[in-house]
Amino acid sequence: MSAQPDTAVEVDGLSKNYGPVAALSSVSFSIESGQYFVLLGPSGGGKTTLLRLIGGFIRPSRGRVLLHGRDVGDEPPNRRPTSMVFQSYALFPHMSVERNVAYGLKLRKMAAPEIGRRVARMLELVGLAGYEARMPHELSGGQQQRVQLARSLVLESDILLLDEPLASLDAKLRKDMCLELKHIQEKVGITFIHVTHNQEEAMTIADRIAIIADGRLVEEGTARDVYERPRRRFTAEFIGDNNLLHGTVSAIAAEPGGRVKVDLGYAEVAVDATVAEGTDVAAGDAVSLSVRSELVELVAPGGAEDGARQTVPATYLEEVYLGLTTSHLVRLPDGSEVAVRRISEGGDAAPPAPGQEVRIGWKTPSARLHVE
Amino acid sequence: MRDDYTSELGHGLKWAYLLGIVGALLAPVFYVIYISFNEFGFGARIYVFTVDWYRVVLGDKMLVASLEWTIYLALAAVATAVPMGLLSAKLYKKTRYKVAIVTLMLAPLFVPADIMASSLLVFFRHLNGIFELIGEALGWAWLTHWFELGFFTALVGQILYTLPYAFVVILITMSRYHPQQTEAARSCGATAWQAFWHVEFPQIRAGVFSACAFVVILSFNEATRTALLKGGFDTFSNVLVSQMLNVGMSEESYAMAGIMSIGAMTVIGSILIYTLVRSERLEREARAKAEPVMST
Ligand SMILES: Nc1ncnc2c1ncn2[C@@H]1O[C@H](COP(=O)(O)OP(=O)(O)O)[C@@H](O)[C@H]1O
Ligand SMILES: [Mg+2]
Repeated sequence: MSAQPDTAVEVDGLSKNYGPVAALSSVSFSIESGQYFVLLGPSGGGKTTLLRLIGGFIRPSRGRVLLHGRDVGDEPPNRRPTSMVFQSYALFPHMSVERNVAYGLKLRKMAAPEIGRRVARMLELVGLAGYEARMPHELSGGQQQRVQLARSLVLESDILLLDEPLASLDAKLRKDMCLELKHIQEKVGITFIHVTHNQEEAMTIADRIAIIADGRLVEEGTARDVYERPRRRFTAEFIGDNNLLHGTVSAIAAEPGGRVKVDLGYAEVAVDATVAEGTDVAAGDAVSLSVRSELVELVAPGGAEDGARQTVPATYLEEVYLGLTTSHLVRLPDGSEVAVRRISEGGDAAPPAPGQEVRIGWKTPSARLHVE
Repeated sequence: MRDDYTSELGHGLKWAYLLGIVGALLAPVFYVIYISFNEFGFGARIYVFTVDWYRVVLGDKMLVASLEWTIYLALAAVATAVPMGLLSAKLYKKTRYKVAIVTLMLAPLFVPADIMASSLLVFFRHLNGIFELIGEALGWAWLTHWFELGFFTALVGQILYTLPYAFVVILITMSRYHPQQTEAARSCGATAWQAFWHVEFPQIRAGVFSACAFVVILSFNEATRTALLKGGFDTFSNVLVSQMLNVGMSEESYAMAGIMSIGAMTVIGSILIYTLVRSERLEREARAKAEPVMST
């Protein structure tokens, strides 16, 4: 595998075992220079392990890490073109903000006036000009994370690694900092690899997202790809607010790109085979369908049954008001629940009574087919 | 701990109890110091304050020489036991075999002084014999005297004795240190040594200094191991103990005991005060952290 000149990071068959625990199993991907790349997944999935392997804090059990095409397998963190922002407690508590940010430049024996200039510029960039003399314990969580960011960015490394940098902040601050991180990354133009378990955070900042779970790379793509067109069932479950329906394949259209018929046990629905790339199904296979809750509708009684829409019978359960949206919960004949999400509007028609028989439906291309 | 519902009386009683115990334990020490300043010594019916006995002690060549030996021994023990304690504490933080390390490090505390001293004595005797044999057989004279009893063997005994204390004291301060800071320093370009020296050490310095003080005090107080392992010199407490055994307590011995206890109490007192001041400062910082200066 030869790296393109503009490939910042290439990870090839990377594995890490801790005794019998496989923290990471054979993960491969590459990241282009200047991208904002997010590693997203449930906690314990191996994201931190992957990031620390790239940063050189731990050695892989198998596989290689190439940074700008160079195998860095034997290089310690201080020799790699990476620098890292930690979740918390990583500022040097006995140094002022200024000395924290200047630390890396001092190690490089840069002249003091030049250090002063660069530190000032960096504190300006992260919005902390005027805080030079503060000690870390005199800063709030958000400010501490900005100092960490400045301390890493001032080194002008090509690749910035961020391990859950916003996890210790409250929701509102996390949202603000998220956008700010994105703007800073656009300004400095270097590669960011950002680890998070928060999908909203990932969506907000990512150019590309890699989903990591159980030590494996589940799926990789743009934010829009993984949200709107999840290939794997895990992605569908983890991202967005997807409903899953289980069934078996009953018929496959002869023509390529045709529809697959899936028997749900209580109804038969058609799915576009093309929507799930790489899914190779045969009649009799157990499959699942995922449909995002905002794409499912309650079908008015007597609504037209045309080929553009799939409908199934259900029992209405209840309405859950969530502010911006309202969820209507229904139960399918096989016992599973489905959420139908709508933007809340003042003049909404009264919902069906609990226990009432209804039909739900979705536009055929909205459903995705998964084989696992 | 105290809260609004603690009774004043109960609280006062607890303190009185604590101070009473400490006072009772220290009373003999203060009494010895008191006597050491009496011109007529122990048992006299009149008390005339004097520092003459201290003058006598410090004017005695043999006693001053033994004080010097003690200081050398203490410094050498500090120079070896404290770095070893530090390395062991770092190993402890890294390893998965924590129980094994702690057991190993603290084991010397559970061996009585006489037993450890005599085992070491026997061990060094044999080792010396072996080295002499080898040295003679090969004609290497420089090999023959390595384990003759002397400063070096006394030092080994002292290190074995003080290392557990140094280890524990440093480990306690180290437990407050967040290892991400070392990684952050590495990712700023620091070598492992630079990360330790610039970032970790300043934060565990208090523990390292306390460990130094502990080792010094322990070295001054130690008599059994040095008595058996020292070879041709005497430490201060060796002299004191042998005087007490041979001629009983003289006015001079009181002054010597006074020097040791005053020295030890000064060192421990300063550590206590320093620790109190520091913990108060840390608490202030923690409170400041709990109330962020600004909200963004
Ligand atoms: N030093 C370690 N020793 C043993 N197991 C570890 C170690 N670090 C991580 N693990 C295990 O590896 C798996 C992945 O951990 P991690 O990379 O921290 O996940 P994430 O960052 O996605 O939450 C977890 O099961 C974790 O328990
Ligand atoms: Mg993690």
